[in-house]
Amino acid sequence: MIAIPWFKESKQYAVLRSNAMNFAASELAPVADELENTVDSPAFWKVVEKAGSMGMLAALVPEKLGGEGVDPYSLCVALEECAVESAGFAAALLFHNAALVPLIYADKKELVEEFSSGRPLATTATAGKVDLEGERLRGKATFVFNVLEGCPVLLFPGSPAGHEVVYVKSDYPGVEAKKDPYPLGWRVSSFASLELAGAEPYFKLKEFQREAKLSTERALYLGLAAISVGIARKSFEKAYAYARQRYQGGKIIIEHQAMRMMLARMLCGIEEGKAAIRRACEVEELAPALIAWRRASNNACQAAMDGVQIHGGYGYMRDYGMERLMRDAKYCQMFPASEEEGLLRILEMVEERC
Amino acid sequence: MFHKDLGETGKRLFRDFPVLRMLWESGRKKGIAELVETVRRAEEFKRNYALPYALELDKRMEEEPEYFDWEIMRQACRYRFLSIFIPKQLGGSAGEFMVTNTSLLMDELCSGCSGMALAIGAHSLGVAPLVTSGAMGHWDRILGEIVEGERKMEPVTMAYAITEPSAGTDVEEPEFLEVAKLSLEARKVQGGYVLNGRKCFISGGSEAKYVTVCAALDKSRPLETWTTFLVERGMKGFSSPRVELKMGQRASHAAELLFEDVFVPDSHVLGYEGDGMANGILMIMAASRGPVGAIATGIARSAFEHFLRWAKTRRNGKRPIDEDRIRMNLADFWGMIQENRGLYMSNAMLGDSIFGKVLAAPVMVLTLSLPSFVRTNKVMNDFLNSRYGKAMVNAIMRYYIKDEDITQLLETASLAKFSCSDNAMELCSRALNLMGPDDSEERRWVEKAYRDAKLTQIYEGTNQLNRLVVNNVRFEETLKVEVPRPFKKGVVS
Ligand SMILES: Cc1cc2nc3c(=O)[nH]c(=O)nc-3n(C[C@H](O)[C@H](O)[C@H](O)COP(=O)(O)OP(=O)(O)OC[C@H]3O[C@@H](n4cnc5c(N)ncnc54)[C@H](O)[C@@H]3O)c2cc1C
Repeated sequence: MIAIPWFKESKQYAVLRSNAMNFAASELAPVADELENTVDSPAFWKVVEKAGSMGMLAALVPEKLGGEGVDPYSLCVALEECAVESAGFAAALLFHNAALVPLIYADKKELVEEFSSGRPLATTATAGKVDLEGERLRGKATFVFNVLEGCPVLLFPGSPAGHEVVYVKSDYPGVEAKKDPYPLGWRVSSFASLELAGAEPYFKLKEFQREAKLSTERALYLGLAAISVGIARKSFEKAYAYARQRYQGGKIIIEHQAMRMMLARMLCGIEEGKAAIRRACEVEELAPALIAWRRASNNACQAAMDGVQIHGGYGYMRDYGMERLMRDAKYCQMFPASEEEGLLRILEMVEERC
Repeated sequence: MFHKDLGETGKRLFRDFPVLRMLWESGRKKGIAELVETVRRAEEFKRNYALPYALELDKRMEEEPEYFDWEIMRQACRYRFLSIFIPKQLGGSAGEFMVTNTSLLMDELCSGCSGMALAIGAHSLGVAPLVTSGAMGHWDRILGEIVEGERKMEPVTMAYAITEPSAGTDVEEPEFLEVAKLSLEARKVQGGYVLNGRKCFISGGSEAKYVTVCAALDKSRPLETWTTFLVERGMKGFSSPRVELKMGQRASHAAELLFEDVFVPDSHVLGYEGDGMANGILMIMAASRGPVGAIATGIARSAFEHFLRWAKTRRNGKRPIDEDRIRMNLADFWGMIQENRGLYMSNAMLGDSIFGKVLAAPVMVLTLSLPSFVRTNKVMNDFLNSRYGKAMVNAIMRYYIKDEDITQLLETASLAKFSCSDNAMELCSRALNLMGPDDSEERRWVEKAYRDAKLTQIYEGTNQLNRLVVNNVRFEETLKVEVPRPFKKGVVS
């Protein structure tokens, strides 16, 4: 690994980063391939358990509600480090943690306890269209990860107004999970769309729906930005190491300027992503988080694609682990909203304030 | 023949490629009708076979990377895609415009499934050196067998093997080959050569009955001794021990080839000793990188067509296409596709003006119109495979195919290759960003296209290498295709 020399953090975060990095290296890295190939494996639950013991399963929930009570930046640090070894696992953790955010507004300790018990993980479903009609959920939630038997799913119904934050359980009558074992990226957790045909909510937030929704979204966008940075870092590390050992055109390829340019661009991308995240964590607003997400995920996609390119044909093959980064990075860019929808929301957020 | 005889396919092609219409109007009706017919067959393949099956096969390949679906090749037989590079006189389906035909075929097939298209295209890539080297001594036997197999729906395929584990970019450019670290070596022995070493990432290498293989006769002088061989499945010591699990274009295998003391007879040198870089590589790249641009374009079209369908589908009461963000991008995407087509067509048309001359040359027409028993009779066959026979064929080829033409063709090919593949990658990537986390069949297709497109920036020389080629040919004039004299002394020391 090469350390980026100008990157400095306060002691608090540096300690946190180093713990997360150790966790990723010792617990995640050895099983990363296995997690990718088998959803719901014993290895996955072992890592989840360990993550739980480190407070990563209720990271944003205040201590009084039984959580870890860390700030969003700390969660970003942890997710970034996990994503270096397994973006899929980091995404699973993020969707779980984001799903717990409304519970802070609900002040529901028992739900926090139940959801963060470690198995199954909770999840957040932001895509698709779901409505609450006469106390029944109808519609379809798409792009839902972590979908296992009995998993609590956080939904944001579009109507009626005032009922924006609802939970359902994935095995409730009226919920049908259509699983897809081969999503493009984030293979670690089980991927599905949920068809809701009159399912009863498990829990509804009565107050602060708007705030809870915005906070959840903010956590999601920041988290995805952090995962993107993790992917970009791993892409850089792998490509840099490969470029220093691959010999082509009479020299090791890192001596070809075309390769150096791609590597340098990766460094810029990583730094841009990190800076945007740090900035976005300083203000409790959604727009900067959206900006950080766009920056970081675009850069991660570019970095992973360049990483594959630097590996030549080897980059295209599963065994080398580079193509996985390219697939994972793409989902960071496409989720939880399309690029332009994200972009337009930035303007809307500003307009709302004017 | 009238426009209307070309049917819907002709109508579409004339609209997408006005240059074809111009050629038609100026009298090249036969050649154009052949192109239209190829595309019509490709459309049928796409509709009846590729679209209903591609996603399922893609998944299956992920679970069973070793699996190969021979039905792809049987279907290819049915539509006569396996003989697309084989002259008509030998029973093949190559038209008057061979390179254009191949490019249009690739564009159309890849808009269905680029993995299947690669399985078919890699075979033609394997056939190409056999044709362009003028190795007539093998034409009737091997090309005849391919044509016969095609007729009987019992596919016989070829592959093209130049990449080695530690030399990918290096084998594609003379300057780099000189300093390459090679694995495979062909040692001259009595009556032939003994090959030892490995090739990797060879598309279709695990299925091919015949493989055209480039190897150095002396690893310390690779450029000077680079030679093309015809290796046959069943030759002792030749095997394909493994295939890769690829990110995309999965329907075709990328295989490792292992050579353990494989004896290859003298007659199986395609061209002659030491002409491998010019004849075995640069000539092939000049004719095939354009079609790779067409592959990328087909993949982009696949993404585009599914994206368009998605955009026009009403969901939650709205059609995405009613939004500016979609409309602006759709127009951009179409622009990229048409830009690509301009690039690969320039290459294809230049290619056909060069190769067309040889195929139309009286001596070639005469030779090809002889009954096959004349060419295959032992005396004639021995002559064609002998030094003198090869020198004669070489002289004919050189008369019609000039080094500077191939150099120019190489430039257009490399330009088409990197531009089309970069556009394809960008189109697929942007389309996915626009779709976002939408759950639709169309998204799965665009995701596949995104995975598939990446390969087009890597194979047939990475896009970096292809950019260097354009520099070296056009701006610096340091890269010139120079076919060495036949049987130059000192190739084998
Ligand atoms: C799926 C697949 C199918 C294939 N099919 C075939 C086939 O049928 N037959 C066949 O022979 N080959 C085939 N190939 C091989 C393909 O052509 C090579 O992968 C390609 O040429 C790149 O070589 P490489 O993988 O060794 O990468 P390398 O040459 O090692 O390149 C690594 C990186 O270094 C860069 N680089 C290398 N040299 C230079 C330089 N001098 N200046 C600047 N940058 C440089 C490259 O651009 C790349 O980014 C296939 C490959 C794949 C992935």
